[in-house]
Amino acid sequence: MHTLRIVCLGTGLVLAQAVAQTAGSDAGEAFYESTVRPILRTNCYACHTDKNVNSGLSVETRESLLKGGNRGVVVEPGAPEKSLLVKALRHEGDVKMPPGKKLDEAKIAAVEKWVKDGMAMPEKYRKAKRQGADHWAFQAPKRAPLPEVKNAAWARNAIDRWVLAKIEAANLTPSPEADKATLLRRVSLDLVGLPPTREELNAFLADTRPDAYERVVDQLLASPHYGERWARDWLDMARYADSDGYTIDAPRDMWPYRDWVIRAMNADMPFDRFVIEQFAGDLLPNATRDQIIATGFHRNTPSNYEGGIDFEQYRVEAVADRVNTTGAVFLGLTMGCARCHDHKYDPVSQREYYQMFAFLNNVDEIDKEADRKYFNRPFLDIGTEEQVAQYNAWEEKVKDLEDKINIYIGQFVGDAEKDEKLKAMRKEAGALRRKKPPVVRALVMRDRAEPRQSYIHLGGDFLRKGATVEPGVPAAGLTPPLTLTGEKPTRLDLAKWLVRPDHPLTARVTVNRLWQRYFGRGIVDTENDFGTQGDKPTHPELLDHLAMEFVQSGWSQKAMHRMIVTSATYRQASRYRKDAAAVDPDNRLLARQNRLRMDAEIIRDASLVASGLFTAKLGGPSVYPPIPAGANSVTQVKREWATATGEDRYRRGMYTYFQRSAGHPGLIVFDAPDGSVSCTRRVRSNTPLQALTLLNDEAHVEFAAALSARVRKEAATDAERLKLGYLYALAREPRAAEQERFLRFIQARRDAVAGGAAEEKVWNAAARALLNLDEFMTRE
Amino acid sequence: MTYDERYMRVRTRRQLFRDCGVGVGKAALASLLVGNTMGATRKPHFPPKIDSVIYCFMAGAPSQFELFDYKPELQKWDAKPAPDAFMKGKRFAFMDTFAKETPKLLGSRRKFQQYGKSGLWFSDLFPNVGSIADDVTLVSGISTENFNHGPAKLFSNTGSVRPGRPSMGSWVTYGIGSESNDLPGYVVLQSGPRGPRGGAALWASGFLPTSYQGVPFRSAGDPILNLSTPGGVDGHEQKSTLDLIGDINKLELAETGDSEIQTRISQYEMAYRMQSSGPELIDFSKESAATMEMYGAEPGKASYANNCLLARRLVERGVRFVQLYHADWDHHQDLDEPLTSVCKEVDRPTMALIRDLKQRGLLERTLVIWGGEFGRTPMGEVREKGKIGRNHHIDAFTMMFAGGGLPPGRVVGGTDEFGFSPTGDRIDVHDVQATVLHLLGLDHEKLTYRFMGRDFRLTDVAGHVIKPLVS
Repeated sequence: MHTLRIVCLGTGLVLAQAVAQTAGSDAGEAFYESTVRPILRTNCYACHTDKNVNSGLSVETRESLLKGGNRGVVVEPGAPEKSLLVKALRHEGDVKMPPGKKLDEAKIAAVEKWVKDGMAMPEKYRKAKRQGADHWAFQAPKRAPLPEVKNAAWARNAIDRWVLAKIEAANLTPSPEADKATLLRRVSLDLVGLPPTREELNAFLADTRPDAYERVVDQLLASPHYGERWARDWLDMARYADSDGYTIDAPRDMWPYRDWVIRAMNADMPFDRFVIEQFAGDLLPNATRDQIIATGFHRNTPSNYEGGIDFEQYRVEAVADRVNTTGAVFLGLTMGCARCHDHKYDPVSQREYYQMFAFLNNVDEIDKEADRKYFNRPFLDIGTEEQVAQYNAWEEKVKDLEDKINIYIGQFVGDAEKDEKLKAMRKEAGALRRKKPPVVRALVMRDRAEPRQSYIHLGGDFLRKGATVEPGVPAAGLTPPLTLTGEKPTRLDLAKWLVRPDHPLTARVTVNRLWQRYFGRGIVDTENDFGTQGDKPTHPELLDHLAMEFVQSGWSQKAMHRMIVTSATYRQASRYRKDAAAVDPDNRLLARQNRLRMDAEIIRDASLVASGLFTAKLGGPSVYPPIPAGANSVTQVKREWATATGEDRYRRGMYTYFQRSAGHPGLIVFDAPDGSVSCTRRVRSNTPLQALTLLNDEAHVEFAAALSARVRKEAATDAERLKLGYLYALAREPRAAEQERFLRFIQARRDAVAGGAAEEKVWNAAARALLNLDEFMTRE
Repeated sequence: MTYDERYMRVRTRRQLFRDCGVGVGKAALASLLVGNTMGATRKPHFPPKIDSVIYCFMAGAPSQFELFDYKPELQKWDAKPAPDAFMKGKRFAFMDTFAKETPKLLGSRRKFQQYGKSGLWFSDLFPNVGSIADDVTLVSGISTENFNHGPAKLFSNTGSVRPGRPSMGSWVTYGIGSESNDLPGYVVLQSGPRGPRGGAALWASGFLPTSYQGVPFRSAGDPILNLSTPGGVDGHEQKSTLDLIGDINKLELAETGDSEIQTRISQYEMAYRMQSSGPELIDFSKESAATMEMYGAEPGKASYANNCLLARRLVERGVRFVQLYHADWDHHQDLDEPLTSVCKEVDRPTMALIRDLKQRGLLERTLVIWGGEFGRTPMGEVREKGKIGRNHHIDAFTMMFAGGGLPPGRVVGGTDEFGFSPTGDRIDVHDVQATVLHLLGLDHEKLTYRFMGRDFRLTDVAGHVIKPLVS
């Protein structure tokens, strides 16, 4: 059966006629199948298939052949004399194919005859096989008219119309709005990562204006703590940490980048700008210091300083990490698969992987042993000119002394550890190290003068270099083309490409991730995989709506946050509903809110606020709150942990010094990522080790004691104190049953404890219980 | 049985308690699953041959030539330049020490003898291990991928040289949970002068939930971080506080209906049980003097001997995966005194662990693994005048196994007469991992987790079960 199909409307009438004339001749098709295709497959497919397009040319399908390649049209049915394809096979002219090996005359003649006869090909070879061409995520977002709903009064904005339409279609109704106190705690935890203070709670409860909630939202969005909360979220994706990772895992100065993210969030820097500065701030005209610091984003890759390594291997690892991270965070594409072979499911070829790699391969990082002393280069030295000069002199001195010590040990006979001279030298080195001038060496991007040639790494092996590649973007043909600013593609061009308003992926992926933070899962559940193996959106029109709003708002993240948290959908109560669960067990329709266990850092922050110990200071070097003894001595090099005693003891969790090989156990136990790879969604585990941490850890015992002191100071009766404790910990008053149970506990403890410090002990216990409640660590 | 991120999200919501690295005992399970609509527990893919694994990781890479790879031919060639074929196209760590001049072959200075009915060879550094020769299986000619310690350790543990993947113990507890109802399913013990290079990445759960992470037990202080009740709080207060927390949480459960609260309640109950089981675990007072003597264990001491005894006690209590790290074996400079002293620390406890498991009838259902991240070269390395060591070698190293129904008293695989290259079928670290999973009833190709759009495995895209070990 030969069904005539016009394969590509865009190519016009001539093509349609050509197809009509010849594509379906039985004999021609058989000839192609038996004779021509084997020739092409053996000799051309290695470089010219629909999935592996070199020089822009694929000879695999009729559509691709007629489209031609980078040199234009290669073949015209019926006219072999005009066909570049035939000329190239004959090695006439400057294109000679296959390279270096002319085919037998008989084979060339067969191809020529086939072209002359009109290039008949069976149906299955006619249409181009570009994977993903009809996949939803590669289509431009469309604005659909808002759906009709029965309960239009419930909807506060467009989000609600889309959500309600699905709820109604399932014969459900939305949940009522959460009570005011719950709502305030929820939106505070979500927008600034801190629970409301009592003053904020009282003010909100007393405010009866119809827009009281919107006013609170605006206040929270204007709070400097907003920047901290959403910076931490971004730092998960940036795989931020304060140390190098791998074996030595020495400290590095990454915090200037972390502070840049906080500032950018607080300033509501448009997301396109935000991306451009992080990818290529250094390449912007008259780049500012801040713009250079921003490029720390892709310098958050782990780096290896172990003896005996091949630095090139770890440099290549870092570049590959940048490619994978870019794919997951911005494109929702699982680029990593294409490191070793063409992607099996998505339109990313191995060549495209290394084209992306080529953009990020030119940073002036060390790649050989001789440059070991320049480890972690390039830096941006932050400090006065004099400080930087002092720093360089100091560093030289330290290295000289270390060399001396090593040489001395090397020549020593006997037990070196007992030698007085060695002890003295080590003491001197210790003293010198402590005199480090106050220069901060931020890790940043800076390109080499001589660009590195990039290659396809066969099988992903850094030693097996295949064909050379130049910078280029993935999913070509399905994503917008790259626009060049200069002659050659640069990181800046890549960044601009990522945030083109017509890019089908970046805005969708970004708004989907924001949505995920508020409801526990995205509209697309697989937030880092928008490819053909990922989940489809539950609310595709809503996703498109949000993506388009995001771009049209000037890429304002605050505007997106505002739209989501002011929706009726967000404001619903989170109470479980049997009726809804019966038809929608996973609550994908959002007929209620979801209860979410707070992030690791926020549990700490909420404890600090409840106890009154919270230090509100923004930014600066990372800090050392208490850590359980021995928790950071699991690595090769034992690192000192000078536990903070002043205000730095009570800083937000996000400022805790984060060592990759031994992250603070209080954070790790609550699923904080370890910074080895980009994390686009934290798992929420629920374990007994979490219970042990909140019950027994030194830091949490201290929080409980402070909360206890606070309520004892501010109120006299048990009931009043309990009420205060509830307000501080949960931003609500206790219910009758809760009060009864707590008071019973307090009385029993009082009976059990005698002596002068009885009240302190009794209330320390009660406060400890409050800070261990499930509700305390949950965003209701 | 393919689990992925989506499943995991449902899982945490629906409280599949057995999934947690800290498993739930059978009795407790019934009470925890009340009201749970999805009460499936993790079953292995096929009937397992073992219940537990004790992996003695010798960080730094022991020299196989000084312990159990007897190479008389290498001794004959001692001090002669290594054949060109050894060096051509090969890459070593610290190339510069080999680059100056062609390295010379180094015959072992140790005395070797055959032990037991099996006649396995062991050196004079391993007399105690030699005494149980008929209970161990040596796998020789194993290859790995990277010649630097950190990455190679990651590779042994996670199947990848880069940090960020789950470790073997995490995969195992994720796959089949644990039998212990009051101890973590995956425990890490450390001894030696320093922690293993790579740190927590070696027992991290990667993209799996942190409940599958290895829990480091410390040899001093609390065995588990924050296990003991804070100062000034007595047992009665701790109990009544936990009762209060549980009761208030139950009120919240009634109020919201969120089953996650039920999980929280159970985890607090388990934390309380751990507070008593932990101290009991490390209390050696009920061990006989003969047992203490056999291991060379001394109460309260941070030693490999104590850790071996602890490993047996953990396995007895249903813990699934115990990993011991002992540093440091990186003998570039000197194969004499430093190697002798580390062998003294390790030889007897290793024997004791295997013998003790056997006499208690636990060895059949426990797999003991002993080995480093790679091996060492048949060529000597001179970094210091008058001393000689060996460089890293990744093409052919030896690991020791015991228990789990493996053929005892045998050498599987093999190397050439210089111990430079494997003879026979290639065996690599992924194969070892596939085999361990196989013994636990898990198919390494089916134990997957979807992350960033890809189904990840412990064995990446490689690995074959080592047939001579399991058939």
